[in-house]
Amino acid sequence: MLKIFQLVLDWSEVWALFTPITILMVKQQPAKLKLVVAYVWAALIINLAIDLVWKFRMLLPADYNSNNFLYNLHSTVRFYLFSAFFIHLQQPFLVKVKKIVPVCFTLFMIINFTFFENFFDYWKFSNRLLSIEAALLLFYVLQYYLFKINDNIGTKITDNVFWIVTGLGIFVALNFFIFLLYNELTIRFQRFAISLWSVHNISYIILNLFLAKGFYESGKQ
Amino acid sequence: MNQESNKITLMLMAGMAGMLMLFISILLIFIFMQRKKLQYKMNLQALQNAQKNQLIAAAVRSEEMEKLRIAEELHDEVGAILGASSLHFYGINLDNCDETSKEMYAKSKSLLDEGISKIRGISHNLHSNILQELGLKEAISHFCDKIGHSSLINISLDLQDRHNTKASPDDISIYRVVQELLHNINKHAKASNIHISSASTNNQLIFTITHNGNGITQNQFEELRFTKDGLGLKNIQNRMIMLKAGLNFSEQAGHYQIELKIPVGERKPNDK
Repeated sequence: MLKIFQLVLDWSEVWALFTPITILMVKQQPAKLKLVVAYVWAALIINLAIDLVWKFRMLLPADYNSNNFLYNLHSTVRFYLFSAFFIHLQQPFLVKVKKIVPVCFTLFMIINFTFFENFFDYWKFSNRLLSIEAALLLFYVLQYYLFKINDNIGTKITDNVFWIVTGLGIFVALNFFIFLLYNELTIRFQRFAISLWSVHNISYIILNLFLAKGFYESGKQ
Repeated sequence: MNQESNKITLMLMAGMAGMLMLFISILLIFIFMQRKKLQYKMNLQALQNAQKNQLIAAAVRSEEMEKLRIAEELHDEVGAILGASSLHFYGINLDNCDETSKEMYAKSKSLLDEGISKIRGISHNLHSNILQELGLKEAISHFCDKIGHSSLINISLDLQDRHNTKASPDDISIYRVVQELLHNINKHAKASNIHISSASTNNQLIFTITHNGNGITQNQFEELRFTKDGLGLKNIQNRMIMLKAGLNFSEQAGHYQIELKIPVGERKPNDK
């Protein structure tokens, strides 16, 4: 029973995405959510590749049976799409900072992967990349709430963007320290690190449920 | 080594809990502030609606008072003068007059009588004594008799006896709406058969007007509300707002129906 549960959790990065995709099939989304829609499809392709590489690692050539670079790729795609999504929300709050953040992230990527880490590292994903990505996305989420708190227009609290932002907020808040310390933990307590990845998987299911709710809400508007 | 590992685990747990707490706190503040803003907006909206309703009620009241004043002036002043003229007219001796003069006298007498009758009609239209003294049922019935007779329309009534009492301010508004609707049916729909009925549920009084003319549906009514700025429609709308009532137009098997739903629970305690 526990094995089945673990198997379900291991594949959650793929099947969880089918919840928002099902809503996308039924309801047309507004232009402001196009980037989130793009993320869902991109995430499906990357996560499917991650899980297939992991599942068939014995059958693949030794040089190609690591999926760690795909986690780096997923993190990069997620950051750029969500930062563009927040910038396109047209909230007149910290506008310059929001535009500078992706530039800083790009600089960080160039410097980090030129001098310090290898993007295609066989043995580990870049915990520095994933944790910085989580911190920056958390910044975007918090500035969204702060803008809404200061905004004088009282609108419906739980609109489509709210659900998407809240789902992302829960995901990055839970995962920031997991990403930051995961590689360290895999060296010291491998079993604990593996079980901790289940927390990441659960938070990813939550993110997808919130994305689905957001897509569903925009169908109502 | 072990101590350092425990330290990492503790840091991880504390970090995760801290981040989650920070996120949840900001989320709760956000929800609290948004709810407060929404509440404020709703209160403001309610206040604006109440003010708007008060203005409409005041406008309708002053309109009724003005109608009453004009009706009284017409009846007491112009009606009295015409009545006295008529008396004097009847006293004229026509024995020594020629045929032309007699004809002119007869024509003038008929015009004077018609004038008196018209003045009385306008006065009663402006302020229905029947409505004030005998209530909504009698007033509507009397008004229908007048229309039915004058333009060959068959109007049947099935009104409840509960309207058979003295009129309240709401009844005056209901009467005016029914009056306006019947005018419109007569003028625009060209109906030959009209049926008016009333029913009441626990918290609603429902008037239904059915006719066989060229009526309108709800969508057409909504369009007219925005495209036409006729006084009749405006009057109906204002009185509907004042009564907090609903008006529904529909069509079924070639017959048009207008349903007027007035909430009775909302009415003031001294109203009938």
